[in-house]
Amino acid sequence: MTILRWLSFVALALLLAPLAAAAPARTGAAPRTATPTRPGSRVAKLPFDADGPTTLLVGAEVHTGDGTVIPGATIELRGTRIVRVAAGGGAGPADATRIDLTGKVVTPGLVAADTSLGLVEIDLEASTRDDSRGGGDAIRAGFDAASAVHADSVLVQVSAIDGITSAAVTPQGGLVSGRVAWIDLLTGEHATLVAAHDVGMRASLGQVVESSRAATLLRLREVLDDAAFYRTRRGAYDRRQSRDLAAHRLDLEALVPVLERRVPLLVAAHRTSDLLALVQLKSDLGLDVVALGGTHAWRVADELARAKISVVVQPSQNLPGSFDTLGARLDNAALLAAAGVEVGIAVFGEAHNVRNVTQEAGIAIAHGLPRETALRAITLTIARAYGMDAHYGSVAPGKVANLVVWDGDPFELSQKPSAVWIRGKPIAMRSRQTELRDRYLDLRGFVRTRASKRAPR
Amino acid sequence: MWMLLLVALVPLVSACTRTTSGTTTPAARTRPAASASSRPAVPDGPAVLLRGGRVMTATGVVYESGDVLLVGSRIAKVGASIDAPADATVIDVRGKTVTPGIVDTHSHLGVYAAPGLTAHGDGNEIVSATTPQVRAEDGYWPQDPQIGRARAGGVTTMQILPGSANLIGGRSVTVKTYPRARGIAEARFVGAPPGLKMACGENPKRVYADKGGPSTRMGNVAGYRTAFQKALEYQRAWDRYRAKLKKQAEAKRNPPKRGKDDDGDKKPEDPPEPPARDLGLETLAAVMRGEILVHNHCYRADEMLGMLALGREFGFRIRSFHHAVEAYKIADRLAAAGTSASVWADWWGFKAEAFDGIRENAALVAAAGGRAIIHSDSGIGIQHLNQEAAKAMWAGRRAGLDVPEDEALRWITANPAWALGVHDRIGTLEPGKHADVVVWDGDPFSVYTRVERVFIEGELVYAKDGSAGAEPSDFELGYPYPVAPPPGAAPAPAKPPEKATP
Repeated sequence: MTILRWLSFVALALLLAPLAAAAPARTGAAPRTATPTRPGSRVAKLPFDADGPTTLLVGAEVHTGDGTVIPGATIELRGTRIVRVAAGGGAGPADATRIDLTGKVVTPGLVAADTSLGLVEIDLEASTRDDSRGGGDAIRAGFDAASAVHADSVLVQVSAIDGITSAAVTPQGGLVSGRVAWIDLLTGEHATLVAAHDVGMRASLGQVVESSRAATLLRLREVLDDAAFYRTRRGAYDRRQSRDLAAHRLDLEALVPVLERRVPLLVAAHRTSDLLALVQLKSDLGLDVVALGGTHAWRVADELARAKISVVVQPSQNLPGSFDTLGARLDNAALLAAAGVEVGIAVFGEAHNVRNVTQEAGIAIAHGLPRETALRAITLTIARAYGMDAHYGSVAPGKVANLVVWDGDPFELSQKPSAVWIRGKPIAMRSRQTELRDRYLDLRGFVRTRASKRAPR
Repeated sequence: MWMLLLVALVPLVSACTRTTSGTTTPAARTRPAASASSRPAVPDGPAVLLRGGRVMTATGVVYESGDVLLVGSRIAKVGASIDAPADATVIDVRGKTVTPGIVDTHSHLGVYAAPGLTAHGDGNEIVSATTPQVRAEDGYWPQDPQIGRARAGGVTTMQILPGSANLIGGRSVTVKTYPRARGIAEARFVGAPPGLKMACGENPKRVYADKGGPSTRMGNVAGYRTAFQKALEYQRAWDRYRAKLKKQAEAKRNPPKRGKDDDGDKKPEDPPEPPARDLGLETLAAVMRGEILVHNHCYRADEMLGMLALGREFGFRIRSFHHAVEAYKIADRLAAAGTSASVWADWWGFKAEAFDGIRENAALVAAAGGRAIIHSDSGIGIQHLNQEAAKAMWAGRRAGLDVPEDEALRWITANPAWALGVHDRIGTLEPGKHADVVVWDGDPFSVYTRVERVFIEGELVYAKDGSAGAEPSDFELGYPYPVAPPPGAAPAPAKPPEKATP
């Protein structure tokens, strides 16, 4: 492309821009794709429905995820959805496939919160990482995890066979990291892996901007303020009849649904002052705010409860790893729950081991968190944090049929799922790791002496 | 002149043996003298009888109901029923489990202390890829708040290693998690042999790629070989020197008969000059003599086999491969070499050489007749090594391997004790061994179980009820955060119901 042609292209674009801004197509719901261009449209149309063959899962003790336990339950699945959950048998359609789960425990599929699952294959290999926009700009709100998530990642299946059926795939880094995508862990299913985009906007407090906590907060306020300005003056902005704004157009655009409370703002915050700043932010701007990490949340539990800010914690993290996490304690989750805070549990920063979320929940139980609250903390609470609880997070009619079948207590170290259902279908209980294991179970085929025998002498 | 040199060395030598395990010459024993003990054995101290618990000895013997008698700093008796000595404190541990203290082969507590301040980075001497002269004990900060948390997790002994930036990172030190230690001399496991930290693979070549190398795995191995070759030559120089000394001493004892024509005033030969002392080569020479145990950070099967070959070339054994995520691929070779594998239960994928990690790793090593160890390399993981062992045990069982509980317990007790060369003193519940004991409030392989009491050499150093070991580290004083909630302040732990339900 010559410079001249390029210039004329730019000129044309500038001419058309005001028209485009006024066009009603901007707000119209485009067909859902894995790479949405318009932030904030969330679950435009989930790629599944309640048509299809019926399956009856009969006899299991069902822990629904909302605190209810139903012994000897029947779960009726149709297509990709749960259509009925009832105590006792109850006849389903005559052509239904019936699966006896007597003696088993069924829970909702577990949900991995705030993870780079599908964006990272090997942490230390930059070429395998797509979880962060590089460069020095701390505002990366437009960065969309949905457009990079990789269905073929082996982490997907490694996690799925341990009961993780959905994940909030989350960009990392900077002050505002970007747009969170909701996936179901269907390995290889590129067309349908992403169930919903824009289920959250991720941000971090602390010394993120100019090595200063105060500068970080100030910048966040400035950007949200400018996004509000932009929201009502898009035309003026495009005609360059606007003051300078604190972020690029696509980043401001992505923050608009956050201001409109259509997308929750999930913020990593550990220190008391940062957690209180979130309370203030929510009160000032009316945002839907979720705290991630929350090392000191137990100190401001009442304030967080009053502000209805849910907190996602990692219970095992009890080290004073920095001056922001002095006072980390194993019973943080229990103290928060006792104060009435909706508490979620996650494995942060370790996409390879989100499967250990059951151990994390077990540790929280050992330190005082009620058991059904712990189950909710890794299912329904996470779905709710990302605004996905209408479709996910519990065993209830109308919800996506993501289910895990256990032989016993799901939190116990002895337990791994005996079956996992995602979108109404059982998945193959194999992964790269089981294949490696099976290859090396018997080492006789590898013995060097055999090679020596073959070698010509 | 020789006498002068000797006199000059004496204060140095005694200083070394009092406060460090440093050798003074390649021939010197690396273990400090018994008098160096800051915690002498107390065979006749107070007696504590742990009565009626499930006693898992890590020797293959499990008493469903048994007693353990601690007298002074040692285990006096273990059995189904022991009569309490008149002066014994009897502790009822019915419904609880008694195990040996947990042992971790791989920790950086104290050298990478919390909080992770720039000022606390004392674990990697990143000035040269080969630094056998440095010692972890010289960087160990006993006020690291992580140490108390490890103790509360049942860890009584841990090996503190230099990091893995260097091909040869320096000497490790084995410590007990004693409370109130003010320096390494008060934390050290007296009599434990030092280890040598070596590292394969990605870390050294990444760290030194722009610092003059190595930048490849080829460079890594050339680096080890060069270092050990120098140490061989260094050892030869000392051998020659000693041979000369010996010859002179013999000549002095049996002077040759003087001939007729001797003028009678020939001066005696000067004593030979000792070779210049080199602390790093001295360490490597001691490795080749088997006095320092090699602990080798090495992930991949091919590299571990290469390191075993390197050991054969220079005449040393590798005591344990650390991290060893591919140990399961060469479990037969590790067993044959007598090299243990210190592994995680399930860490994998954070770098290319960790991509093939599987949860059955420890169980497969054990099934091949090797020594499996679950290690932490983490201030979090070290607090629940019992849970990590449980995960690895159950993974093995699900794969159809026979992994008895006692074997899984050995992964965090007897086997790491062997890797550290202290298996004759700790690692099992047997009479004569250190009274390093953990009482668990249930099955140690359950996620719900918590440590109830920890004894180190007979001293109660942690109690769940806050009556012992609740004091924060010096560093944490003055901050308004309780390290452990005061008894009764926290909500009571939810008890798992009888039936296995979530």
